[in-house]
Amino acid sequence: MNINKPNRTSRSVLLKGGALAWAQLAALSGLLTMATVSSAGDAQQIIRDRCLSCHSETGDRQAPFSRISQQRKTPEGWEMTLQRMQAIRGLKISPQEKRTLIKYLSDTQGLAPAETEGVRYVLEQNRNAVESLENQAIAGKCSVCHSGARVALQRRSEPEWEKLVHFHMAQFPTIELLAGARDHDWFEQTINEIVPELANSYPLNSTQWSDWKTVKKQPLTGSWRAVGWLPEKGEYEARFTVTALDSDYYNLDIRGKYADGSPLSGTGRALVYTGYEWRSNVTINGIKMRQVFAASEDGLAMEGRMFLRSANELGGAVRAVRESPDRSHILSISPSYLKQGERSVINIIGSRLYGKIALGHDLKVLKILSRSADRVSVLAEATEGASLGKHPVSIGSANGGYLAVYDRLARVEVTPTESIARVGGNGGKLAKQKVAYRAVGYAAGNDGQPGTEDDLRLGYMPAHWSLKAFDEVAEHDKDLLFAGTINSVTGVFIPGDAGPNPARKMSTNNVGQLAVVATVKDGNQQVSGDNHLLVTVPTFMFPVIQ
Amino acid sequence: MNQSNLIEKRRLGLVLAGALAISVLASGCSSTQHHADASGSVSGTESAKGESHEYLLTVTRPNNLHVIDMESHHITRSCDIPGSFGGQISLSPDNRTAYILSNGMENVYGLNIETCEQVFSAIQSTADVKVKTFVSIAVSSDGAELYTVQNPVRRLKDEFKVMSPVLAVFNTEDGLNARPVRTFPVDRRITTIAAAANGEVFLGGGDLKAINPKTGEIRMVSALQSEDRPRWLTPDAFAMFNLGEQANEYILPYVTAEFADDTMNFETAAWWWGMNRVDLATGKNQRMEFAPFEFIIFNLVADPNDKNIVYGAFNTISKHDVKNKKVLGVKDLDHTYYNINISGDGQRLYIGGTSSDISIHDHESLEKIGSIQLPGDMSTADLRVARLPH
Repeated sequence: MNINKPNRTSRSVLLKGGALAWAQLAALSGLLTMATVSSAGDAQQIIRDRCLSCHSETGDRQAPFSRISQQRKTPEGWEMTLQRMQAIRGLKISPQEKRTLIKYLSDTQGLAPAETEGVRYVLEQNRNAVESLENQAIAGKCSVCHSGARVALQRRSEPEWEKLVHFHMAQFPTIELLAGARDHDWFEQTINEIVPELANSYPLNSTQWSDWKTVKKQPLTGSWRAVGWLPEKGEYEARFTVTALDSDYYNLDIRGKYADGSPLSGTGRALVYTGYEWRSNVTINGIKMRQVFAASEDGLAMEGRMFLRSANELGGAVRAVRESPDRSHILSISPSYLKQGERSVINIIGSRLYGKIALGHDLKVLKILSRSADRVSVLAEATEGASLGKHPVSIGSANGGYLAVYDRLARVEVTPTESIARVGGNGGKLAKQKVAYRAVGYAAGNDGQPGTEDDLRLGYMPAHWSLKAFDEVAEHDKDLLFAGTINSVTGVFIPGDAGPNPARKMSTNNVGQLAVVATVKDGNQQVSGDNHLLVTVPTFMFPVIQ
Repeated sequence: MNQSNLIEKRRLGLVLAGALAISVLASGCSSTQHHADASGSVSGTESAKGESHEYLLTVTRPNNLHVIDMESHHITRSCDIPGSFGGQISLSPDNRTAYILSNGMENVYGLNIETCEQVFSAIQSTADVKVKTFVSIAVSSDGAELYTVQNPVRRLKDEFKVMSPVLAVFNTEDGLNARPVRTFPVDRRITTIAAAANGEVFLGGGDLKAINPKTGEIRMVSALQSEDRPRWLTPDAFAMFNLGEQANEYILPYVTAEFADDTMNFETAAWWWGMNRVDLATGKNQRMEFAPFEFIIFNLVADPNDKNIVYGAFNTISKHDVKNKKVLGVKDLDHTYYNINISGDGQRLYIGGTSSDISIHDHESLEKIGSIQLPGDMSTADLRVARLPH
């Protein structure tokens, strides 16, 4: 999954508040402090002991509990439900019982891998994902207040979707008075039109789930080769050594290095839900981080995001493959571009990189600078007449990735293209919510016009970072003076202090609308691109799923 | 549109987008209250001549009703309100009793504003039915009945069931722990309501309707969401504050747009503030678009001496000639104020809500001429005027 995959056409940025609090994230993270292996019988007994003052037993072995048995959710989804039951419905439950229930419910009433595709950004805590859900039922109703992904990551029977609407009316009585709701029969329309659509799009029973239940789940033990990126640190490569502590519960040892050669090491524990949902808490070079990955159905690969537990907006994508004597992989090629008629050091990272190095037609390996099974570093050259476009790279039987040969850098895209930072600090309890940017370069492609569909993506490029006012309103309000600063080298934006500022009109906060500018050098020319950054007030809600 | 107007309009868009995401407080203004003058004549000027004394009423956190002398601008009295914060206020015809919707939009408490004595209460929720009232509180013109719109939800063992809203009628004489003596089904999404001298209760919702509280019969007063008006955007009518007692009227404001053509292009549309205004003496309604949407008018109040002049507040205080659709003046404020009211002589405007200060402005220049500091935040509380003989 590419977390930096923006979509300018979509509308709903995840800036909304949610329903539950900070403590939740810590609660799910706390699952990893100990093994939680319990039998289904144990878990069902906890439900009988703790939940039946309100819920009831149905007598149906396939769906034994009222309401509970009519829903499927992600681990984070079940955590939110239990948290809400504790916070406002009087549920008394021990931390151990809660851990057992979340594991049991995620395993037996979870989502199949295919059912989470495209909406994992909320599980991965990506604060700058721009939603592009096609489901109009969600877009017009649900995502007015929270992410659409929160809905798309649930499965319910139709009566259960209807009960969810009634719950919303009870819990948030003014919901039908919101702008966009109050000018039509919101409640009646939601019940009569939206509920059937949700039941159709996100049904309790699905082929994906029944198929996934029959798949033999693979233990995720072994040695994994991983590549990723972290704000301020950059790209890294690592080996994850995963050993089983119990069923679905693992010890994790991480060893690797950043692109600048500095070491990366850490340890952690991981719990796997639903046969593929990898959640781990790790400490890397003394910094506490969290991994939210999805394992592939065959258990040979994992993808997801690793982020700081203290600031989950600061993180980056991770890809990992399980190492095996009979498989080799290329995981990354850095840099991933080479200009016609120029030479450059190219680093190829992967697993079991044995055999002939092939960079494709018109590209020469001038010198092998270093070589190991994990990493090959070469001095490569593209001829003046090297064909423009993607050149697949292979080393022996290892494939994956390409070198983009280009003539001229035509355009720079700043990712994330739409972003939100939040003022904080200044003696308040809430920290500043930062944004970390990367620049992606493009060549114009065959049509010679940048910004068209045939643009050639060159990959991430080092950039000089700066800010400017986003529009005339921002200029008028001097947002550039107040809203924050960006590190010109790392591309990390730090918003201004929280609280009213007497120096501003109406003593407003240090909010603003900025454009983040990346300037990339390409030979003698400089190419800039920019994006939109909204610097806004702190959010006081930190639900596990936004 | 000149540069400053363009900037202002774009700023509006931002503010509105934020309001959409945040809460129910996305626009609004209104009134519920008839005036003490039973003849229905526009009053206030006489009070200014000294025959009675005006007091500003509002509620601050944690939950206190303040009675503020509008001559000295000092707090005369502060009364504790039971339960958690809530500050929608409706006055008895003699202005001695303030009925306050409080405790999470659920309970109504009647307080004698001269003694702080609690003279009325209605606990609307029961053990298995949670009742919320969204601002809807009004007293009949004879003071005998109190009206609320109840939005009930039944709590079952492990689920909720939304029930139909009703107009609930209470006898004010029932005192503490009053129960509704009649209920009638009404639309969903009703916020402010107002009782007219003809006995009708006006219901501000998606449309403006009126109900006969004796029979439950409802008539359409002004179709808004239900109207078919080619090339006009369905009006977004919403009111979260009770006011209008100084001109004895009820105002339901709205936002709409007139499109240039059938393509319904929002960019080229002309955006308007509009309002329905009901004369509570006669029950007659007028509907109009009166000001271009160039800044936010969160609440409106009319000059008691010249109803063609209305004043609006939010980030600006503004003065409008309704008939000629002219903005007569507009001034920036030092922070956002939700609410507005006016002295009976029409000389001074009081803007409050949001924070803990009431800003006082001259009706001609709109300049700030004073301020009243309160001990807590008003948040979304009403700002009403009571007139007492002393």
